[in-house]
Amino acid sequence: MARHIAQIALFAALIAALGLVPKFDLAAGVPITAQSLGVMLAGCLLGARRGALAVLLFLFLVALGLPLLAGGRGGLGVFMGPTVGFLLGFPVAAFVTGYFSAQWRGSAPVVTTVLAAILGGVFVLYIFGIVGFAMVTGQTLAQATSIMWVFVPGDVVKAGLAGIITESVLRLRPGLAAQG
Amino acid sequence: MLSIKLNAVDLAFNNTAVLSDLSLDITQQRVALIGRNGAGKSQLVRLIAGLIRPDRGTVRVNGVDVGRDRRAALQTVGILFQNPDHQLIFPTVMEELCFGIQQQGQTRAQAQDMAQAMLQRFACADWGPRVVHGLSQGQRHLVCLMAVLLMRPALILLDEPFAGLDMATTRRLGRYLEGLDQALLHVTHDLAAIAGYERVIWLDHGQVLADGPPDTVLPQFRAHMMALGDGDAVAEL
Amino acid sequence: MLSLNSEPRSFWHDVPAGPKLLALLIATGLAMWLPNAAAAAMAFVAVMGLYAVAGWAFLRQGLLALRPVLFVAALILAWHGWALSWGQGALVVARMLALIALANLVSMSTALADLLDRVERALAWLRVPPLWRQRLALSVALVVRFTPVLIVKGQQLQRAWRARSRRRPGWRLMLPFVLGALDDAETVSEALRARTGTL
Repeated sequence: MARHIAQIALFAALIAALGLVPKFDLAAGVPITAQSLGVMLAGCLLGARRGALAVLLFLFLVALGLPLLAGGRGGLGVFMGPTVGFLLGFPVAAFVTGYFSAQWRGSAPVVTTVLAAILGGVFVLYIFGIVGFAMVTGQTLAQATSIMWVFVPGDVVKAGLAGIITESVLRLRPGLAAQG
Repeated sequence: MLSIKLNAVDLAFNNTAVLSDLSLDITQQRVALIGRNGAGKSQLVRLIAGLIRPDRGTVRVNGVDVGRDRRAALQTVGILFQNPDHQLIFPTVMEELCFGIQQQGQTRAQAQDMAQAMLQRFACADWGPRVVHGLSQGQRHLVCLMAVLLMRPALILLDEPFAGLDMATTRRLGRYLEGLDQALLHVTHDLAAIAGYERVIWLDHGQVLADGPPDTVLPQFRAHMMALGDGDAVAEL
Repeated sequence: MLSLNSEPRSFWHDVPAGPKLLALLIATGLAMWLPNAAAAAMAFVAVMGLYAVAGWAFLRQGLLALRPVLFVAALILAWHGWALSWGQGALVVARMLALIALANLVSMSTALADLLDRVERALAWLRVPPLWRQRLALSVALVVRFTPVLIVKGQQLQRAWRARSRRRPGWRLMLPFVLGALDDAETVSEALRARTGTL
């Protein structure tokens, strides 16, 4: 249990740090926040349940007022803003990513992990994100979707990175996969 | 009276044997554990702290099976890690100091009183609300030591606690340690620091290579290390 | 330490956390019924009034805290104006800003410890077992402790990269960064076991 608590807490801290380390850019010149990559990795590396708990812990601290979101934002205000759907979708995204990356694990782990990350970290996350955006900004779902399309390619790239990083980590720390 | 008893202990880590058929009987108050990097010193210390369990054999400290009976182990053994960042769990000094003793069953108020008394003993009464992240390396080591002392273990394990510290800090922390009532088992590369100890155990490839008072073990160890260092076999690095 | 808390203490700091959270909850519910842009604008002005009660410095801080969403707010307004109607856009944007500002006010004027205490009591009331409450408190403390540690590590990795390369590090630092955090989790769990019987 001590180990699980430590993993959940350290991953919550990791997701925070990914948004706060200056210039942790993913692609040259494009300052995409790495925070949602952290969410996908939480699911892949800690598994569905603990991954989702790590993300929930992170959001709990954001709600308590710690400035842990990318760019140093935090507090209850962010849950009133247009991106609230993405925030609430984070733990679900981690869970879905973790669940399917474990389910589909087979002969081509990188591919299946990437697919799981796209399903959880892009598809499911955007459903939440789009509904939230539509509600806060008073648009129809179709309008919100048409705006959000712009960000999908970046997140698909992140899903790809999540797959590569997950496999490298599991190769270097075989004990992590063994504990299930 | 202290008693650490290891009986025919086997330990493997990632499928490589770290300790094999190791038996030890320690009753002295000041004991040093020396050896090269990778000799198995840290794993031995973790066994005695009860943080890991042997694959075979038994480890008992004052009769307590430290790997299984964690509650009793907490009253028996404390451990000081090399890197204070591996030990300090809480944001502020006071929370850090209170955590262990609250786990031992003290109420929050009692724990805070005890922690404050400990801070006073080391002349840093105003440290309670300070943020751990903002302390210097030596100060963080001191917080670790206070946290361990508060739990009143009979034995304190030191896993190279001085590595990377400046001379003055090393000297100061060394003085604190000398003055303690607790038994110490000290893993170190600093041979000068253990010259006054009662017993030195030299561990190599998971086995005891020499065991006795410092005057007999340390000269052998020094000569052997010099010979290795002057040789050119890269495999020996 | 990490905190969004406002430095100059204000009138609102003295109001207990519970009522402030409850008021925020009710206001959020009511805001969905705002009829038109004028009403929403009044709601926003009213929230600014709450800031002003606590003094100019506090009001200034509250406005500064809104800066990150202004760009998005302007976009939403423009989009509405172009696609639907300006009145609808003004309603949506004013309502959103009012709610964000109100929520910020609660966060800025409530100490982390008070909020945690409030949560702790709410969980106790919901009959969450003490062991789980202790685990939550411990996890919160661990995140507060290790976020700055990981930020420093991220910066060290970037420095180590720059010392040997002229190109930007990009995503390749992610692997050592994640590995470092996972290894830290191992040492932390060891430190926890060194001081706890059951957890």
